[in-house]
Order: sequence, then structure tokens, then C-alpha cells
Amino acid sequence: MTRFSHALRGIGWTGWLGGAIVVLMLAAAIFAPLIAPFDPVALSIEDRLLPPDVAHWLGTDQAGRDVLSRVIYGARASLAVGIGAVVIGALIGVSAGLFAAYKGGLGDQLVMRIVDGVASIPLLVWAIAIVGIFGVGPVRVGPLLLPNEVKIVLLVGVLFSPVFARVTYAVASRIVGADYVRARYLQGAGHWEIVAGDILPNCLSPIIVQATLLVAIGIVVEASVSFVGLGVQPPQASWGSMLSDARNAIYSGEWWLPVFPGLAISITVIGFNLLGDAVRDLFDPRSETRTLVA
Amino acid sequence: MSAARRMNGALLSIEGLRVGFRNASGGVIEAVRGVDFAVAAGEAVGVVGESGSGKSLTMLAVMRLLGAPARTTGGRVMFDGQDLLDVDEARMRAIRGRDIAMVFQDPQSSLNPALTIGRQITDVVRAHRRVSAGEARRIAGESLERVGVREAGKRLDAYPHEFSGGMRQRALIAMAIACRPRLLIADEPTTALDVTVQAQIVDLIAELRRDLGIAVLFISHNLQLVAEIVDRVVVMYGGKVVEDGPVEAIELSPRHPYTGLLQACVPSLTAPVGPLVAIEGAPPRLGRMPQGCPFSPRCPRVVARCELEMPALLTEGERRFACWRPL
Amino acid sequence: MSGPILSLRGVTKSYAQGNAFDRLLGRDTRFVALDGISLEVARGDIVGIVGESGSGKSTLANIAVGLTKPTSGDVLLDGEPLSVLMRDHAGPWRRRVQMAFQDSSSALNPRKTVSRCLTETLALRGVPREQRETEALAMLELVGLGAELAPRLPHELSGGQRQRIGLARALAMKPDILIADEPVSSLDVSLQAQVINLLSRLTRELGLTLLFISHDLALVRTLCSRIIVMCKGEIVEQGACLDVLDRPSHPYTQLLIAAVPKGIAGRRKPTSAPSRGHAQDSVG
Repeated sequence: MTRFSHALRGIGWTGWLGGAIVVLMLAAAIFAPLIAPFDPVALSIEDRLLPPDVAHWLGTDQAGRDVLSRVIYGARASLAVGIGAVVIGALIGVSAGLFAAYKGGLGDQLVMRIVDGVASIPLLVWAIAIVGIFGVGPVRVGPLLLPNEVKIVLLVGVLFSPVFARVTYAVASRIVGADYVRARYLQGAGHWEIVAGDILPNCLSPIIVQATLLVAIGIVVEASVSFVGLGVQPPQASWGSMLSDARNAIYSGEWWLPVFPGLAISITVIGFNLLGDAVRDLFDPRSETRTLVA
Repeated sequence: MSAARRMNGALLSIEGLRVGFRNASGGVIEAVRGVDFAVAAGEAVGVVGESGSGKSLTMLAVMRLLGAPARTTGGRVMFDGQDLLDVDEARMRAIRGRDIAMVFQDPQSSLNPALTIGRQITDVVRAHRRVSAGEARRIAGESLERVGVREAGKRLDAYPHEFSGGMRQRALIAMAIACRPRLLIADEPTTALDVTVQAQIVDLIAELRRDLGIAVLFISHNLQLVAEIVDRVVVMYGGKVVEDGPVEAIELSPRHPYTGLLQACVPSLTAPVGPLVAIEGAPPRLGRMPQGCPFSPRCPRVVARCELEMPALLTEGERRFACWRPL
Repeated sequence: MSGPILSLRGVTKSYAQGNAFDRLLGRDTRFVALDGISLEVARGDIVGIVGESGSGKSTLANIAVGLTKPTSGDVLLDGEPLSVLMRDHAGPWRRRVQMAFQDSSSALNPRKTVSRCLTETLALRGVPREQRETEALAMLELVGLGAELAPRLPHELSGGQRQRIGLARALAMKPDILIADEPVSSLDVSLQAQVINLLSRLTRELGLTLLFISHDLALVRTLCSRIIVMCKGEIVEQGACLDVLDRPSHPYTQLLIAAVPKGIAGRRKPTSAPSRGHAQDSVG
């Protein structure tokens, strides 16, 4: 624990800032009903297009809905898609990368060529195409009824998996040859024990760094899909759909409509990026002595 | 070192050199703590010590190649009447490679894998001398031949991966001597090599020094290896010079206990078989330097004073040593 | 119990060279790392295997512990072929042959404490959970380290300490045969002696059979009773250690002996032509 707290001290202010932003956004998403001053979907014709003031801190939109409340609720869609996609992508990708690196030979070739295939799919185009094909409504898969958001999460997750597979593979294939792995093998340790106990923990830091960066990309993807109307459906709030709704406002001078959801996206993306860098430092077991090594 | 040698113009003279690391909390941890010794023109000097003794840092400081967080915190490095720590970067670049050349431990990472050996040597030549491309190539071929690469003319067009480890080290030495430097610094040049190749490279360095009159600073942790080709040995420990002197004196009658142990712990092919002499413990870690003599925690001859007070480097004839209870 | 504890019979290892295209056209050549090696190691023997990079000595070590499969030939552990034993990856035979590695920086998992490294090893040997901690400390003591190192991570240890932990880990399996692949070549001379003395003491105390792989003839001379000199995948000379080193018969052995640094005794005369390692080292 002392080692951990020591490392925490070395994170630097950018890391803390990133962490603070991420925690803030997560809190906003989780406690949205408690924090949001207004109902994000409540229409109020007399309050249309009010500029920011004391009652509505970030103003109101064309339907008289409170922008602040919608930005807070929008964090839910953004983070759910971003984090959900990363979790799925990591599960698939890390397993594939570990398998290929540990197995070697033909299995390695097969898995990594499939990964290459998936990686060649342009993410945004496919996200839009798939939603376009299946429609924005829920899709029934066997006994499960998948809402549109889940569909996007799964899709983006699969399309994220090659990134995880490659990062994991690159690190793991080096670790597989390390003497401490060979020593475990010589002791008769089980394959699962070696992969989960020795190889995976030593691949974690690049994976986690990659994960935080991909959450940021996932947020942008969600915003983009919602922007073209294929993501979160009205009247539910999402930063992307808010931006989409604000398209006309750019010309008519209601600046608060595009600026605040845009800022929310930028700040969250920056937050995850800063956090990613800090986490990389934190996970390095040598981080304490790093500054001393010539 | 004799007073005379210091007087009649040492080629390189390191005076009170200090190198420190800036740590996370802003303090400076000293790794080289006031080193001074000199190299005369044409002389071969061996610098011996374990990893962490500060020997490599000293050399990097001399060449002004220290990277952050390490930096020189004091002292002078006199070369040719000028303080290398004081000259501007452009002048230093001209000195590096032309007047002082360096050969590193790992020949693999010292060569650019994407360029031919010839190109890498001619680049060095043309960086320091105004010669035509053809002339540079001729010089490169000559250098490569000089270091014992057969069919050097043809080998100029080879890439580093086509060379074995020993050949790569030869190519690096060719690059180092291409501009006929006055000082060659070789930092553990044979550690990454096989024993027979190591012997060849050591022979080569001795030969170049004899034929071209290049002064050599040979850094190694192996006293027996260094002793084969140098005139004088500087023994470093814990960021300080603990003993130096003519190689015969150091080998035959070391005065500092560390030197004696360093010599005794290397097994030989002639000594009676038995347990090896070991130096117990480990070198002091950075930032945890003992208050007194840095070797005191491991020294078999330690007395109370050693732990409290750093002994001064005393001159005795041609040699110096820093010990309260010398051998 | 009277037969050799370890024997190699006609062990050959070769690798395909050239790219996939060459292989497709049948133009590939094979690089022979080991060429029909046969040798026997008696129980309690301390055998030094010397040679330079490319001599095949590390390949030999890897084959003897079952990390690499030979292209042809057999390794017998107490008369039983390794190829048969290998079918049970975690079988009881496994613990009998252990290895100490060369590079002290990659020999230990950077995320596991010394104590964890040893206890998980003991767990695989079947030591009951409640005894593992005490036995781990006993292993540390065996290799001359104090209990205060138990909670440390590898990067908090010196090179010599890491090398000892690697040794302790191998010994924790209670092996009959220990294969040490260049165990001190990443250490400073001052620390080499510590580890060599330790190995010498442990082999005696534990009755180990030791295969000591090294390029340093002087170390082999101090430690080993037998020596095997390898060059380009073949055994060029073998015999009692002192006999071979005092009266080498093969030119390669002579070359290796000449290459050992000899201090001022080996000083170059200003006039002498280069005498050692005359053969130009090869390209590639």
C-alpha cells in the first residue's frame, strides 16, 4: 500500500486533472436524476431558446428543455457507450491477443489474421451502416431484446477489439519468451496459471492506457452516430444528438446550444486521455525509481 | 599520477568532476562525487569499477552526452587547454568524433540498421573534414581495413545486420578512428562479445594505440582485461577514485582493499582450485551512499574511522589511494 | 540408480532458414544448432559446458529441460525418454530438472514479490499452504539472503540478489539436476564469485547434479569436475576439467584458453603480432 501511495504522488497535476474530470463525468452520469435541476425531456414552449441565466445556467433549447440537465443526462449515453464498448473490445481483444501470443504457430497466425480482417473495417462507416440496416429500434436476438444503445456498444466493442488484440499480442509475445515464464513452465504450472498469473499482469499497463484512450474514441463515435440520428433517440439526451439539434442554432446566434455539448465531449475526451497517461505511469512497477535510472 | 605528467600537458584532465541526478522531490543525488585524473597524449588508461561506480557517467560527462535527469554539477574537464564543460555546443560537436571518439558497449544499437557501414563511416568523416565523397569513401575503406576487416572496400556496402557482433564492433572502431582522434574512449567495448572476439578487439585497440598514437581510456569492470593493454589504472568505487597508478603497481601491490579484492575475485586458469575470493555485499545504491568510505560496508579491513570519515586521495610516488588502512 | 541420470543420444536440432517464399520453392536451407550430440551425465557430476554464442550450448540446455523439442534424438532422464514424460506436462518428473537463467533482469516476474515467487513454486511442489511461508524463508537462507527481502519486488533487488532468488526458485522444486545457463555472465566480476561459491556449496550440500553452461573457462575450472567444449553444434573436446584445461588437444579449446584475460601477465609486447583469435570472425 505504501508503494501504491508513493506512486500516486508521482502522477502529476495532469493526471489528477484527468482523473477529476473522469470522476466528475461518471458521477454526473450515475447521479443524473439527483444533480440535474430540471427534467431533461420536459417541454416548455414559453421557455424556448433562453440564453444562460440564473434559472437555466446553460440556457434552454428549441423545445424549452434545460441544456444543463440534458448535458448531465447526455453523459449517461456517452459514457455507457464509451465504457461498454471498451469492456467488450478488451474482453475479445485481450483474450485473442493472449491466445495467439501464448499458443504461437498456426493458432497464432489464424487469430491474428482474423484480427487484421476486423481491423480493416472502417469503424464509423460500419457503425452507421449496421444501424442503418437494422434500424434504430430494438433488435431481438433469441430471447434477448437489444435496445439500440446495446447494439452500438456491441458493434463498437467488436470493432475496438483488434486494437486490444494487437497491443496485447505485441507485449505478450515478448513476455512469453521471458525467463520467468519459462521458469513457471518448467515448474509444471498450468497454462491458465501462466497466462493469467504471469503474462496478463505484465501486459496490463499498455492495455489500460489503450482502454482509456479508446473510451474517448467511443464517446466520439457515440456522438457521431447520434449526430446523424442513428444513436440515442429523441427525446432522450445525448451529446451527439444535442449537437445535431443545434446545427441551425449556429447561424441564428444561439451559441449555447452547440457549445456546451461540444465542450462536454472535448473535456471528457481530454480527461480520459490525461488519465490514460497517468495510469501508464502508475502501473509501471519501477515508477518509484524511474527518475533515478540513467 | 606523477606531478610531472600533470605538468607537461595532459591531453585530458578531469578535475573535481561531479555528476548528479535530480530526483522526484527536487533534490540532487550525486553519483560521481569529485573525480579527478588525467590522460597524457598517447597514454592508455583503464578505468575500472563495478556497475554503479560512476565510471560510465564520468565518461558521458566528459563527452557532454549526459541525458536528463543526470547532469554535471561541478568540476572541469580540460582538453587541449579548454574546459569541455564550458565550450559551446557547436564546438563540442566538432570535438566529439574528431578529437575525442567513443566506442560503446553494444555494437548492435550503436549502428543505424538502415544505412550501410560505409555510409555511416563517411558521414562521420564528412562531418569533420572538408573532403569529396570519393575521398571520404577512400578514408572509410582505409579505416575499415585498418581495424582488420578483410576486403574492406567491398564491405563498405554491407549493412550492419550482415556483420557479426565482433565485426560490428570493428566497424564502430573504424568509425571512431576515421578522423584520427587524439583520444579514444572505449566504454566496456567487449562486454557484449564472445571471449575470443573480446581478445581480438582488445588486441586491436592496443595495436591502434601503438600505430596511430591515439590515447585510450578503456572502461571495464574487469581489471584483468584492462591490465593487458593499459599503462595506468584508475579504480573507481561509489562515485570516487579510490586508487590509481601504473598498472604493474596496481596489479602487484594494490594498496586499496577494494583493488586487491577486485583482482582476487577473478578466477584464473593457473591458480589452485578452491573457493573464489568474493567481495561480500553489493555496491552502495544511489542516494544511500555511506557517510565515510563508500567501500566500508564491504571492506574486510574496516575500522571505525572508515565509516565516519571519507579518506582523502593521497599521493605516494606515481600512485594515489584513498584508504585509512591501506594494504 | 547406477545408470546416468541424464543422457542425450544423437540429439540434433535444426531450424529452417530463409523466408516463406524460399521454403515454398524448396530452396530453404537448415541451420543446424546441434549436430548429433550424445553425452551422459552421472549422478552428482558437475559438468561445465563451454562454448561461444552459436556453439549450441544454450540449445542443449533448453532441450535437456524440455523447453525445446529436438529435431531428432532422445533425452533420457534416469533412462526414461523425455519425449514420453513430456506428455504429462505437469508430471512429477517435472520438478527433477530445473534451470537457473542467465539474465537476472528477466528471470523474475517484475510484479511478484520474492515471497510470492517462492511460495507459488512451493505450491506446485505440493507443499501445504501453511508451510510455504516458512519454507520460502528457508530457501532464502539457503542462498544466503535474509528474510527482509521477502516482501521486495525484483527491481528493488541488486543483480546478484536477483540471481540468487532465481537459484532459490529452481532449488525450491528440490531438483536432482540443475542446469545453470550462464548464471553469472550478467553480473559484475565482484558478484560472480559470490554466486559461483554459492553454487559450489549448494551442489555439495544438496547432492545436486549440475550442468554449468558458460563461456568463461576460468569459472568452469573452479566449479566443475568435467568439461565439455562445444563449437558450432558439436562437442569438440571433453574430459576431466583440469586435464582438458591444462592439456587442451583441440585447437578451439586452445583458442578459448588463450582468450582468457590474464592481467599484466598477458600484456602485449609492443612488437608482437596479434596472436589470439587469429581467425577472422564470420559475417552474418
